[in-house]
Amino acid sequence: MSNCHGNHEQGNCKTTGLCPIVTFPEVVNIDEIRDEIPEVKTFYLSFPNKDVEREFRIKSGQFIMCTVFGAGEFAVSLPPSPENDRFHISVRAVGKVTHALHALRVGDKLGVRGPFGNGFPFEDIKGKNIIYVAGGIGLIPLRSSIVHALQHREDFGRIILLYGARSGKDLMYQEDIKEWQQNAGFETFITIDRAEAGWDGEVGYVNQLIEKANVPVDNSVAFVCGPPVMFNSVIGEFLKRGMSEDAIISTLERQMKCGIGKCQHCAVGRTLVCTDGPVYTYRQIKTLGEQI
Amino acid sequence: MSMYILSSQEIKQLAQALQASHEVYGPQVDPQTQQVFFDQLDDVAALNLEAPIPSMPVKEILFPQMERILKYNYDSETQSVEMSKQYFEKPKVLFGLRPCDLSGILALDRFFLGQEFVDDVYLTHRRQCLLISNTCLNPFPQCFCVCTHSGPDADEGFDLDLTKLKDGYLVKVGSEKGQAIADAQQWKPAAAHHLTEQKAVVDHCIDLFPEMATDNKAWISRVMNRITTGFIKSETWEFIGDQCLECGACSFVCPTCSCFNIEDTQTACGECERLRMRDSCSFEGYARMAGDHNPRQPVEDRRNKRFFCKLSYSQSKKYLRPGCVGCGRCQWVCPGDIGLPNVVQYIRREITGGEN
Repeated sequence: MSNCHGNHEQGNCKTTGLCPIVTFPEVVNIDEIRDEIPEVKTFYLSFPNKDVEREFRIKSGQFIMCTVFGAGEFAVSLPPSPENDRFHISVRAVGKVTHALHALRVGDKLGVRGPFGNGFPFEDIKGKNIIYVAGGIGLIPLRSSIVHALQHREDFGRIILLYGARSGKDLMYQEDIKEWQQNAGFETFITIDRAEAGWDGEVGYVNQLIEKANVPVDNSVAFVCGPPVMFNSVIGEFLKRGMSEDAIISTLERQMKCGIGKCQHCAVGRTLVCTDGPVYTYRQIKTLGEQI
Repeated sequence: MSMYILSSQEIKQLAQALQASHEVYGPQVDPQTQQVFFDQLDDVAALNLEAPIPSMPVKEILFPQMERILKYNYDSETQSVEMSKQYFEKPKVLFGLRPCDLSGILALDRFFLGQEFVDDVYLTHRRQCLLISNTCLNPFPQCFCVCTHSGPDADEGFDLDLTKLKDGYLVKVGSEKGQAIADAQQWKPAAAHHLTEQKAVVDHCIDLFPEMATDNKAWISRVMNRITTGFIKSETWEFIGDQCLECGACSFVCPTCSCFNIEDTQTACGECERLRMRDSCSFEGYARMAGDHNPRQPVEDRRNKRFFCKLSYSQSKKYLRPGCVGCGRCQWVCPGDIGLPNVVQYIRREITGGEN
């Protein structure tokens, strides 16, 4: 392949049409670090190798394997939209490697492999309403898709975001949300688990927003991301309203080590989250025969 | 396909000749313990083509227990990083592979080199590898390769294939690489009666298998069908799962098990290396994620994953053959008595309602 990164010898380009960085991490620079919410930081990255940067194209819903040199690798979803968006990742410090990442400074280097995974099925959902349902940091993998949908606003019907977090300070991407709200035809419904001083919005769980938002069931798709407990109650609510199992779409999270379907850590049923996922429909998830 | 007949002396000479350009691996018997290892030969005199099945599968060489795939140096002061690839390998000859181990390599080939992505590390090993198989003369009591169509003789995937006959070795050529080796030597072409003799050797070997193995022939495919269509009762899986001690031995001795883990570690001199090491899906921490969420908590989920993998998911659904080559090593090492042949037995018992 003429436009491969020289990272491997085969044309591993069937997923994206472009060539992912498969075996050896490509070095990226940390240009900026922002504190997002407690425990979560956003890292803005750029490739010193501009040839690679030009070729590095993502699809909404894909992920990368990110190396913190000296600590290890972790899988992380990609919040930037495929078009005109700064390359960045938002990461919660939850394990050994992500804690090491949080200790880094601007100017430090990271390694990146990817992008991997199937991405959200944008081609199939033109003309439909999109309902985004996110809990806590579940908004991270959905961000890419929201920005993309808003950039192609005319392709879709209603676009609704139902978002819930533990408290007001746990709401991700608040500036982005403000910006999106100014977009004509973007409806947001936000809730927090418990009432708190200074909060005059909704209080309760995210599944209660479905009623509130008068969510359309026909000709709609729902992208659902969040902790399993939220996932189950939201899906139950959608199914009760008669939404089809194929129209409920989510991303699964698993331990990943290789990203290319070889190490098998992310096997769920007979599929691998890294190559067959991470985006699955509820109908698929139901037949995988495992806990989510 | 060309065929030649070689004396034992000429076989040793072939190994010797290949040693000039390759690392030669072959079965050898440890004089102290009498254990058989498929290992690198310093001296071809140690090559023992009549030795029983090696304790460890030959995947050891192509997919080692642990290997370094990347080395890097990160200087946090200057914020600079240097990285280098670590798995350039010398050409190797696997001399005298059992057909079950050869089938194991072919299964790894399908998995690592087929599908959407190619595993670069495995490819580098594999590309420089010459495979010389050797028809099995003495199966283990646990062997059942006749049920999985992977022995006792090899019919595909080898560069050269050997069979010991009365007056020497029948050598079949299986690839262009193999033909090139044959062309460089002055070997005597085989005659028609040698093929007949080979068939007799194979038939004799099949007779040595326990009745259970030959009898099980159709059962493997029937069990695969049952598992794939989800017809096995959960009690059967629980019964099988309850006997697992989670030692992982079955995965490590299996010629087709390929799960691995990747870890970065720092060496004493401040350099870091990325290691990949074999892993087993029966381990408790196998699917556990950061933050301690473990989606595969229920024991039967985890403990039986391997049997689903061998008999349904990974190999059979994609390639229409079992992910098992019938070498019997899992049966041999399992302290809980749930080697793959036994699992087939348990499921078979369920199907027949307790008989057998």
